[in-house]
Amino acid sequence: MVAISSLTAVLSYAIALCGIVPLFPWLTAAPRTALAAGLLAGIWQDRRGAWPIKNWQFNLAVLPVFLYYAFQFSRANPVQPVVNALAIMLAARLCGEKSVRHYLQIAALSLFCLAASSLFDLSPVFLFYLALLLLLVAVSLVLLTFLAQDSRLILSGAHLRKVLAAGVLMPLASLPLLILFFPILPRTQIPLWNIAAAPAPRPSGFSDKVEPGTSAAVGESRTIAFRVEMPRQPQQQLYWRGTVFNRMEGRRWVRDAAVPSEHLLYKGARIAQTIYPEPGLSRALFSLDAPALIALARARSTSDGVFEYPGPITRRLGYRAESVAAGILPTAGGIDRAFYLKLPDGIPERVKRLANDIRRRGSNDVRRLELLEQYFRDGNYRYSMRDLPTGEHALEQFLFEKKQGHCEFFASTFALLLRAAGVPARLVGGYLGGDYNDLGGYYLVSDDMAHVWVEAYLDGRGWLRVDPSSLARNAGEVWGGEKQRSLATRLRLFVDSLDHTWNRTIVTYDFEQQVEIARSAGKRLQKFEAGKAARAALPYLLPSLVLAFALVAAVRRPRLFPSQNERLLRRFYRLIERDCGIRVQPGRQGLLEIAGQTGNDRVREFAGVYAGALYRDRKLTHAEAARLRRILKDGFVTRT
Amino acid sequence: MTTLLDTLSRDYLHGKEEVLRLSLVALLTGGHILIEDLPGLGKTTIALALAGITGLSFGRVQCTSDLLPSDITGLSVFNREEGHFAFLPGPIFNNIVLLDEINRAMPRTQSAMLEAMEERRVTVEGTTHHLPDPFMVFATQNPSDQSGTFPLPESQLDRFLICTGIGYPPEHLEKGIIAGGGIRERIGGMTPVASTADILAARRCVETGIYLSDKVVNYIYALVEATRSHAMIQTGLSTRAAISLAQAARAAAFLEGRDYVAPDDVRGIAAAVCAHRLVMRPDQQTVDRGELLRALVADIALPLA
Repeated sequence: MVAISSLTAVLSYAIALCGIVPLFPWLTAAPRTALAAGLLAGIWQDRRGAWPIKNWQFNLAVLPVFLYYAFQFSRANPVQPVVNALAIMLAARLCGEKSVRHYLQIAALSLFCLAASSLFDLSPVFLFYLALLLLLVAVSLVLLTFLAQDSRLILSGAHLRKVLAAGVLMPLASLPLLILFFPILPRTQIPLWNIAAAPAPRPSGFSDKVEPGTSAAVGESRTIAFRVEMPRQPQQQLYWRGTVFNRMEGRRWVRDAAVPSEHLLYKGARIAQTIYPEPGLSRALFSLDAPALIALARARSTSDGVFEYPGPITRRLGYRAESVAAGILPTAGGIDRAFYLKLPDGIPERVKRLANDIRRRGSNDVRRLELLEQYFRDGNYRYSMRDLPTGEHALEQFLFEKKQGHCEFFASTFALLLRAAGVPARLVGGYLGGDYNDLGGYYLVSDDMAHVWVEAYLDGRGWLRVDPSSLARNAGEVWGGEKQRSLATRLRLFVDSLDHTWNRTIVTYDFEQQVEIARSAGKRLQKFEAGKAARAALPYLLPSLVLAFALVAAVRRPRLFPSQNERLLRRFYRLIERDCGIRVQPGRQGLLEIAGQTGNDRVREFAGVYAGALYRDRKLTHAEAARLRRILKDGFVTRT
Repeated sequence: MTTLLDTLSRDYLHGKEEVLRLSLVALLTGGHILIEDLPGLGKTTIALALAGITGLSFGRVQCTSDLLPSDITGLSVFNREEGHFAFLPGPIFNNIVLLDEINRAMPRTQSAMLEAMEERRVTVEGTTHHLPDPFMVFATQNPSDQSGTFPLPESQLDRFLICTGIGYPPEHLEKGIIAGGGIRERIGGMTPVASTADILAARRCVETGIYLSDKVVNYIYALVEATRSHAMIQTGLSTRAAISLAQAARAAAFLEGRDYVAPDDVRGIAAAVCAHRLVMRPDQQTVDRGELLRALVADIALPLA
């Protein structure tokens, strides 16, 4: 037993919450406070049953607020005032006394609030709140019609279930329409009024230059950089190549746009991937090292195996890529050795000495590379994100004094020493590692995985990937195999897979993709062999069919399989209507009453025999059943 | 019993089959009947005819506002010759007692009668006297809006198994009655067609020989339940009312010549047995309870399969 008034009150608060919660982060402090206070005051007053302040007073109080926001409204700031005013209006409605009209207003305002939140953010959470809100509003509307009739109505459990069923059925009925509208309605990939906020610059992520020594510590952010749909790969192969830094300026590695031409050869098995980058300012198109092919319109590739997008990737997109994960990139013909050996002036004397020593001791490039690696391994270097060398001589400090730094220090100094020792080298910027999401079948790569490594050119072999960071003495701790996944990580991956599905199917949806799916389905259908498929499906189909039939039969048994009595009764009614011209209302007239009404002895006989068995709580005997059938066969037409 | 019914309605009482049938139902279940209608429609005649045809003894009490309980139950009179008090039984010591215009009696007298009806015995001056068997009260009542009446309270109305009206006879029958004159004289010369023993046997048969199916019990329960949850009714039917309904339905089935109760029997007597027991809400007092009950009954699905 539930009082309908309290039920509608609770529902309206739930509806209001569905509107408020998604919008809340985008509101300024005043409407936030107003909403929270309004909700609490409303609940408190509802419990108390007294409303000291009348609704018209609230309406009056909202008026100056409305005017205030109206004056704030400008072309540069069109949304925030409107949204704030909306929130304050909802707050005023929540804390006032509520009639049916006010409940409807709360529902409408909440819906507007939820809609307004989509101006700021497009996330799958919106869909959740929308579904919940629509469901609640439907139930609430049904209840409000009752409330309008009788505000003191008390619903029993059975009635409540009926009302809930009606409320749930209404949104369900609109589902087919939704499916119809989904492919045709236009959609946006970015929140309408939050364009600037969407491609937020990422602090510890990937940047267009490598400049170690600018700060003493580097923050780590777990912001998602991109997702890669591909089968699981060995963890140590997960180098995501983004760009190549080929020139050193002072202590900075940058990318020289005039890349000397060379011809890279991609040998070995290719690994196909589909990559979904998060919108951002970066132009680099990432893929598993080293990408042989990236299929994206307007993407440009340079001869050093770097793919770039003409502008920042500000909208959600996905591209296919094919990579060869050998760790070495052979070239056809030589490379511009001078370009990859060029060094800026002012290399510290100590560094020069070290490089010259290696050049002298190593007879060829391979040997020199080994010697340098040996030097790093023996140097007792530590990988660290804190207490970093800074300033003008950061690299020198890292090499000889502090001996700790992050990948940029390792890679920068390693490449510098290689070049100084006469081995052509370049830096490669990208990401290392990734969390594999088994649910979605993709790698999740976040900004804290940003990494820089070195490619050294060895004559006759090609560009060899060398990761100097792995020579640190604590490298095993930092990238030591696969980490044990905590519950939080697994939960994060689960939520992320939902997010990814939403982005893939809803946000980056386009009509071409849909047509492509339809086409491929058509192709598959052409190859379809009916007989084979039927045989394959039969073991699954048959039991489910039988089960479905049994269910239907069990639920509708009285109608599908009427008992002998019911069959007799139906024929009896038909005959009465045909022969005696009496319209029978089944269940509303007794048999004996009908018999008396017709004044027909045969009807009376039938009723007597039938009722005699029925109301003595026994089944019709065979003789009786036969007699009844005979009567029905002969009909009730009186022969004169 | 059917012959009895036929004889009465054919030979003596024209156009009163329904009331006669209900009277017999009351007689067969050991209940009492209250007939509520205007004077001069044959209430007394029916009671007389019923007594005459069954050969049962008949007593009559004409109620007035100064009628005393002892006028009904009888009183002890000192017998000077034998030197002790002798009990002189009042009119209630008869098989069929006609309480004419019961609502004219004072509540005190009414309650004395109703006590006798319920207990089937009378205690006068410390001595308990059993009433004869069968015993049936045939009360009549003028519509209570007439002056000088004491309407029966609900609790006492509940004592009557059946409450019904008579109504005017159909036109052609009434014309015949006007032409033929009253039948009071002829009733005196009626020959009984059934004996006391017959009636007691029939009553036993109704009690034990008529099958009451669970389906019909459910039907009766549905009806009772419907009156309890109806918006216009303050107090629905009691369990006693439901028992009475089942008994009356048995008697009705017996009169139809069946040995089982059909829902039709319940429908046929529901209004007569139940309507007067309904207590309406204060603002619904003017509603015809009989009509309301018939509407209720028409709404309940019969068990048919």
